[in-house]
Amino acid sequence: MLTRLILYLAYTLKTSLRYQSTKGFFRNVLTNSQCKLKSYFDLFMITLIISSVSLLLYEVENKAPEWTVFFEDFVVTVFIFEYLLRSWLYSDIHSIIIKQHEKAQYLNTPLHLNKVIKLIISNKSGYFFSASAIIDLLAILPSYRPLRILRVFLVFRLFKLFRYSQSVQIFTGVLINKRLELTTLAIFMGFLIIIASAAIYTLEYPKAGGQIDDLYDAFYWAIVTISTVGYGDITPTTSGGRVVASTLIISGLGILAFFTSIIVAAFNEKMSEFQDCKIRANIDKLTDSIILCGYGRVGQEIAEQLHNNQQNFIIIETNEKLVEIAKKKNYIILHDDASKNASLEQAGIHRGAKAVLCVTDDDIINVYITLSARQLNPTIPIISRANREDNVKKLYQAGANHTVQPFSIAGLLATKYINHPIAFEAIHGILHDHTDVKMDALKVHENCFLDGTTLIDANLDQYKTRLIGVSTNNPIHTEHKNSYKLRNQHFYFNPAPNFTLQANDVLIVIGRNLSIDHLQDIIETSRI
Amino acid sequence: MSDKLIAIFGYNSKSFELITQLNIHKNKFTILDHDPLKIQQALNNGLTAKKMDYRRDDDLTSLGIGTHIDTLFCYLEHDSENVFLVLSARALDKKLKIISIVNQPESAEKLIAAGANKIIDPYEICSHKTHQLLTKPDISWLLDDTIFSHADLNMSEITIPEKSILENTFTSELNLNERYNLFLVGVVDKELGEKLYFSLGEQDHKLDAGDILVILGAQQDIKKFKKEIGVTH
Repeated sequence: MLTRLILYLAYTLKTSLRYQSTKGFFRNVLTNSQCKLKSYFDLFMITLIISSVSLLLYEVENKAPEWTVFFEDFVVTVFIFEYLLRSWLYSDIHSIIIKQHEKAQYLNTPLHLNKVIKLIISNKSGYFFSASAIIDLLAILPSYRPLRILRVFLVFRLFKLFRYSQSVQIFTGVLINKRLELTTLAIFMGFLIIIASAAIYTLEYPKAGGQIDDLYDAFYWAIVTISTVGYGDITPTTSGGRVVASTLIISGLGILAFFTSIIVAAFNEKMSEFQDCKIRANIDKLTDSIILCGYGRVGQEIAEQLHNNQQNFIIIETNEKLVEIAKKKNYIILHDDASKNASLEQAGIHRGAKAVLCVTDDDIINVYITLSARQLNPTIPIISRANREDNVKKLYQAGANHTVQPFSIAGLLATKYINHPIAFEAIHGILHDHTDVKMDALKVHENCFLDGTTLIDANLDQYKTRLIGVSTNNPIHTEHKNSYKLRNQHFYFNPAPNFTLQANDVLIVIGRNLSIDHLQDIIETSRI
Repeated sequence: MSDKLIAIFGYNSKSFELITQLNIHKNKFTILDHDPLKIQQALNNGLTAKKMDYRRDDDLTSLGIGTHIDTLFCYLEHDSENVFLVLSARALDKKLKIISIVNQPESAEKLIAAGANKIIDPYEICSHKTHQLLTKPDISWLLDDTIFSHADLNMSEITIPEKSILENTFTSELNLNERYNLFLVGVVDKELGEKLYFSLGEQDHKLDAGDILVILGAQQDIKKFKKEIGVTH
């Protein structure tokens, strides 16, 4: 009966959306470092800890006012709640029960409740015996007033700060990373101290005129000397003792230097890693971003344009010098090889990315990146640069949606320039936004004022924009002439006045920036 | 327009596409390079080519700069070489049309200062093109099909000849879209200088002989229009 009740509860919890969302919420607040709420919670806890510790320190010598008791109670309640919440979040009891139940059903054996309870206990004890949980528990203790000795645990309340501060976590991470070196150093130092204290004890015992009364004094002296602190409360008087002291000081200097270098080296190694981590965390937050592979001449120009358009983008580049340039501009850059799947995945090809641009100066690499990107995401638009005309076909085969050939366009423009210099200026100006005049594509949104109107009624001339044509794949327009095939669309050049615009048609217009932006605003606002 | 003689300095992957295009448009040109291997390659491809050191003024003069060379393309590997070439050529011929390629953006100003009429930065063009493909693909395709003439649609410039029916008419009276199925992009009104005025309905221009119309339209419509206004070739 009890077993059935427990099973019923476990399954209810598993299916209850409310339970899941509540747990998810607390998980976000307490553990998800990406979550904004967590940073607020951390700040709140840090304030609580600091104020409560200050109060307890004040109470050491002074008598605290009445209200502090309530404050302390409040702090402890929050701590206890947090402790319990963390133990709750640590694992799902109901899933352990369900797992055991399913196992028992499969094997056709009865479900032993005490076995399940044992499993749960052993699972949860993993939390209770973890270092941070022990610190949490000890941090609660100092508020038990009758036992003043518990005040020592105040220190643990300060340790609790570690949980909420990332820089401390980074520091411990660095120390853990250099465990081997630090242990070696500690062992060496331990030996040195033992040898030195034994030597000084035998040389400087009181009868020989020295100040070392016992081994404890010798040990204390050795530590003070090796650390190069040298209080001078105990000084060697015999010449033998002085030799020991000199040797110890010199080795102490060496050890200190060694220790410092280990820590500095570890930080140097780790720092770039931490920066990368930060960049990766930033990337995870991005949506609608563009992956830009290659930050050479072309990549830099594109990055600048994207930046001006306030478009999110992630650069992937292998060359260290170029990475530095991008970092100086505060662009998000992954110092990685874009031809590796992992780097594209990190840049968010499955998540936030909306397009991939391969613009390295090497066609082979561009083909390879295109192929990898296409395999990772079959639908993402890929635009690839081809330096040689013969590679265009290969890029399309690899899965590029469009290719751009720098020298080919340059060649075409140059030819255009010598044969039609004025038309060249017009195109060049439009291509480079040099002039105040631009060519733009405006989409006819559903239910906007253009949807369903004829061109004569729309009278685009009143907005000081001129319509070159309409790009569409709506079959309704096929009766009109002057249709040109434009990729997967039809382009109706110079459409007749009775041409009726439909939703999703794209107007290709020319006009001043001001008038085109104005028309676009009207289209956008009229749809509501 | 094939009577002009064009000199191209530098035979490499960058100039290759230009040469292909010039061949398509039947322009006459000579390729020059200081590397005999490259010259051999060009000759093997059936092109007119000659080994030449761009550093010597005598060589440039003997080539015809200052006399019958009309256009000079500087497609040498380094910006510094191109600047030097532009400078030498400009000193020899004030009217020469000089077009240079540029690799680093900071060299652009230097090339202009040295006397280049036009500089072409393939990387900049490429990045703009990529950006355009990303943000306004329709425009990009349209430009591809007009400038780069994959389709019948074409952008062309027409100089109004003497005694044309267009003389003394106004741009507002042209009505090119209705009468000829053409789109007037802009006009160069010689009375106002060499500047291209985009036709945006802001300003009316009186047309005279020598003014230039930039139009967009189907090849045959352009031909028909040219014939009607009296363009001979």
